[in-house]
Amino acid sequence: MKKLIIIVLSIVTYSCEEPIDLRLNTSEPQLVIDASINWVKGSSGNIQEIKLSLTAPYYDLNTPPANNASVIIYNTNNEVYNFIEDGTSGVYRNNNFIPIINANYTLEIIYNGEVYSATEILKSVSPIEYVEQKNDGGFSGTETELKAYYTDPENVENYYLFEFQNNITTLPSLEVYKDEFTDGNQIFGFYTEEDLTTGDEVIIRNIGISKAYYNYMFILLQQNSEEGGGPFETTPATVRGNCVNETNSNNFPFGFFRLSEVDELIYTVE
Amino acid sequence: MIFPLRSLYLLFCFFTLFGFAQEKFTLSGSVTDKSSNETLIGANIIVHTLQTGAISNEYGFYSLTLGKGIYEFQISYLGYTSIVQTIQLDKNQTLNFELSTSSESLDEVVILEDVEKLSIRKPQMSLNALSINTIKQIPVVLGEVDLIKSITLLPGVTTAGEGASGFNVRGGAADQNLILLDEATIFNSSHLFGLFSVFNPDAIKDIKLYKGGIPAKYGGRVSSVLDIYQKEGNSNEFKINGGLGLVSSRLLVEGPLKKERGAFLFGGRSSYAHLFLPLFDIDNIAYFYDLNTKLNYKINETNSVFLSGYFGRDVFNISDSFENAYGNAVINFRWNHLFSDQLFSNLSLIYSDYDYDLKLNFVEFDWTSGIRNLNIKYDLKHYISNDFKLYYGINSIYYKFNPGDIKPTTETSGINPVKLIDKYAFENAIYLEAEHEISNRLAMNYGLRLSSFLRLGQDEINVYENNNPVIFNSELNIYEKATPIGTENLKRNEVIKSFFNFEPRLALAYQFNDETSLKASYNKISQYLHLLSNTSSPTPLDVWAPSGDFIKPQILHQYALGFFKTISDNTYNLELEAFYKNIDNRIDYTDSADLIANNAIEQVILKGQARAYGLELLLRKNKGDFQGWIAYTLSKSEQQTKGRTSSEIGINNGRWYNTPYDKTHDVSITTSYQLNETWSFNANFLFQTGLPVTYPKGQYNYNGISIPIYEDRNSNRIPNYHRMDVSAKYIPKLNSGRKWKTEWVFSIYNIYNRNNASSISFRENRTTGVNESFKQSLFGIIPSISYNFKF
Repeated sequence: MKKLIIIVLSIVTYSCEEPIDLRLNTSEPQLVIDASINWVKGSSGNIQEIKLSLTAPYYDLNTPPANNASVIIYNTNNEVYNFIEDGTSGVYRNNNFIPIINANYTLEIIYNGEVYSATEILKSVSPIEYVEQKNDGGFSGTETELKAYYTDPENVENYYLFEFQNNITTLPSLEVYKDEFTDGNQIFGFYTEEDLTTGDEVIIRNIGISKAYYNYMFILLQQNSEEGGGPFETTPATVRGNCVNETNSNNFPFGFFRLSEVDELIYTVE
Repeated sequence: MIFPLRSLYLLFCFFTLFGFAQEKFTLSGSVTDKSSNETLIGANIIVHTLQTGAISNEYGFYSLTLGKGIYEFQISYLGYTSIVQTIQLDKNQTLNFELSTSSESLDEVVILEDVEKLSIRKPQMSLNALSINTIKQIPVVLGEVDLIKSITLLPGVTTAGEGASGFNVRGGAADQNLILLDEATIFNSSHLFGLFSVFNPDAIKDIKLYKGGIPAKYGGRVSSVLDIYQKEGNSNEFKINGGLGLVSSRLLVEGPLKKERGAFLFGGRSSYAHLFLPLFDIDNIAYFYDLNTKLNYKINETNSVFLSGYFGRDVFNISDSFENAYGNAVINFRWNHLFSDQLFSNLSLIYSDYDYDLKLNFVEFDWTSGIRNLNIKYDLKHYISNDFKLYYGINSIYYKFNPGDIKPTTETSGINPVKLIDKYAFENAIYLEAEHEISNRLAMNYGLRLSSFLRLGQDEINVYENNNPVIFNSELNIYEKATPIGTENLKRNEVIKSFFNFEPRLALAYQFNDETSLKASYNKISQYLHLLSNTSSPTPLDVWAPSGDFIKPQILHQYALGFFKTISDNTYNLELEAFYKNIDNRIDYTDSADLIANNAIEQVILKGQARAYGLELLLRKNKGDFQGWIAYTLSKSEQQTKGRTSSEIGINNGRWYNTPYDKTHDVSITTSYQLNETWSFNANFLFQTGLPVTYPKGQYNYNGISIPIYEDRNSNRIPNYHRMDVSAKYIPKLNSGRKWKTEWVFSIYNIYNRNNASSISFRENRTTGVNESFKQSLFGIIPSISYNFKF
């Protein structure tokens, strides 16, 4: 909605936007945990990876990897999965992970002598049933619009992360949904892109997530894409995920430990 | 408790004292404009020999009680030729005065002295008043005359940026302003998300903004009262005036219902549809309109009735996917009755509502929300003697809140119909206020308002464990929503929660001499309604929420001190004020708060406090061809939400932080120059400290996207704001001696084309992945022209 008002305001007024050089403050590096266990429907889900990195100054193109950490995930049956770093990439891999829907998993990381942990449940997801395409969508009426339909299970709270990745931009388009107003219905993940043309491919992923992750991602997405300081902006704040630093709580980590079932569909633009 | 009771006792002592005073007679009546018979608000009736006088009230009525004798009365009003009349006062008399406007003959000296002298004397401070004529001369964006934008040129009033709706008074939030149009509450004062204000300047007669020292008559909002009265209509002859501008056109028709007894007024203003959206060749619509109506009838010398209405709407349709309409509707019946020549009464019955409607066709649903209220007010003004007046009255408001209603618009829609639970409340107040001239030098206004708020029964009231709807997760240091352990249904006539507040109001003025006075005031005000908005300035879809079990009323204490001086025979006047205020129970929101379509808003609300303090300076030149003012405000506005226990972090780690509308320096210079009878010029200049925002101090990569890490809330600022506007008004010579009168207004907004930042945005380039920052500006240089006519 906020986005909408900004669009409307900028159409209504003679607004203009120009790049500005701002000298921003910097902060001490902190650990970032990108631990997303994705179990794509129809696959075994054995091969998983966790990315550890550090925070960096805002304008830096890359963020540095966090090397030499010890990373494990264990479940309530005390089955332990070791994640081993691939060189000095900050990517930690495991090839024998066993995903179980609704099972409880704990992530434990030891980095720089400090212990980080998080606990989460592996969430299931509804399959994408079909995709509807419209070529006169969006607010300008000229964008390509995709609706990826799925059916929400009735009488249970469900949360979804939709990821749309096309082959022309580097960044994925992410949306989170809850079923508060759509419980039990057939509903869609929504995506518009101006520059799509016939033959372009869009990878659409519907990812089952927890309520905590929904809340986390909801704020994160607002902060990634939007304005800072416009009249319709909610005041940005540091968002904390579900990982804690058990050794030194002030040096808290960013990121989230999530486990999801994923349905993936590759759509070719008509 | 002790203070209010004592002041009540004092009031009654005075009351009886003056009730039994020796032989005196009362002169009363009304002051009107000679040509239209429109009543004049705030006209002065002065007796120079006694250094005393009266001021006509909101309905043009005055009453003056003096000892037996022969007096010379001077009746004056800003912009009108004064009348001087000698009257032998040996019995109670009714005398109506008719003043002629002095604008027809510009050479005539308009007497302003006494107007100012009385304001030096009167305890009322912290008042911003601008005449409609002044407002109409101030250059504005796109030439659209704007009441609220004009008022922000005076000290202590500002907005959260050019495109922001509402206004902020002395560091207060936009939802803390009580906006009254003919005594009816207006909930949304902006068109087009804040670009223009909802008041049609042609239909407005009088406008006053109380920033502090707020009289006991007003309550319910903690920051300010914007009290606007519409014109009544010309009861002498049929008149039409109107104007054509770049944004909108206006037309106002007025005339007698019955000559000199009754009049009607219909005013309309509409922007041009499609005007703003030329960029796309599809069906986009964006427009607004206002309708103002008023009927009045004077039944006899002691009874008059008024019926007034206001209806305003904004409509936005963007292609077929988004349809949006919202606005206020107000209807108001009033009855003026004179019990005696010293006791004036007004009864108001008011219905007002604000509706918001959004259709999102691509998701196939229709969303409506709103607030409506029924309001009854009975106000009495008792002109007991020259030195002592009593104002008292009662007020009851019944509210119905619709926090939201979602309906699917098609049968195949994936949206389930959801009705958020309606809420109901009853707000009552009783007040008594005395205006008391204790000596020639000392005058006081003291009063007490007793307000109450009853939150009435509704369906599905959530019940929480330990009565706590927000749970703090101490492991992750975040606030989470509590899960209700049950719900209760209470009947509408049951009271869920009640609040009572004593609100003392005190203002005094000490006059050193005719030119100089010192004033001080104290206010306590409670506010029971809260606008749920976690953006810097309100949006039309924000909903109002009543106080209740989980949201406490906001309580304001404001202290102000002022120094007032007129210089060189009233050519200049100087107002210097200092204020300090703090507000308890200001609501704040948890980090993930979703305020729209939230049926359990208590789960995302935290209780905080706000404070603001500052200095205001106004230097005004009132006489001559060259007039104008310099306004400067130095202020600070902050907010704090501490954790409820020592283990909680609160908002911003419990530290004070700047409100989104805090401006350290705010300077405006407004000037006008009358060259000759046909040409006049205006210019203004503004400088303001950039608004507080929050910048990133770092970033991290998560899920393939870059996420900023922010500094403390509102600890940075966008670049400073400044601009200059000019305008010229041309009144053709042809006008004199003909009925059809015209004028042209040419203006240039932001003449040196500064791209003032309205916001700074940070985002990741979607193609390169590089983080970038951008500055948005709303208005560059904008020339405009408008044409006004009258016949």
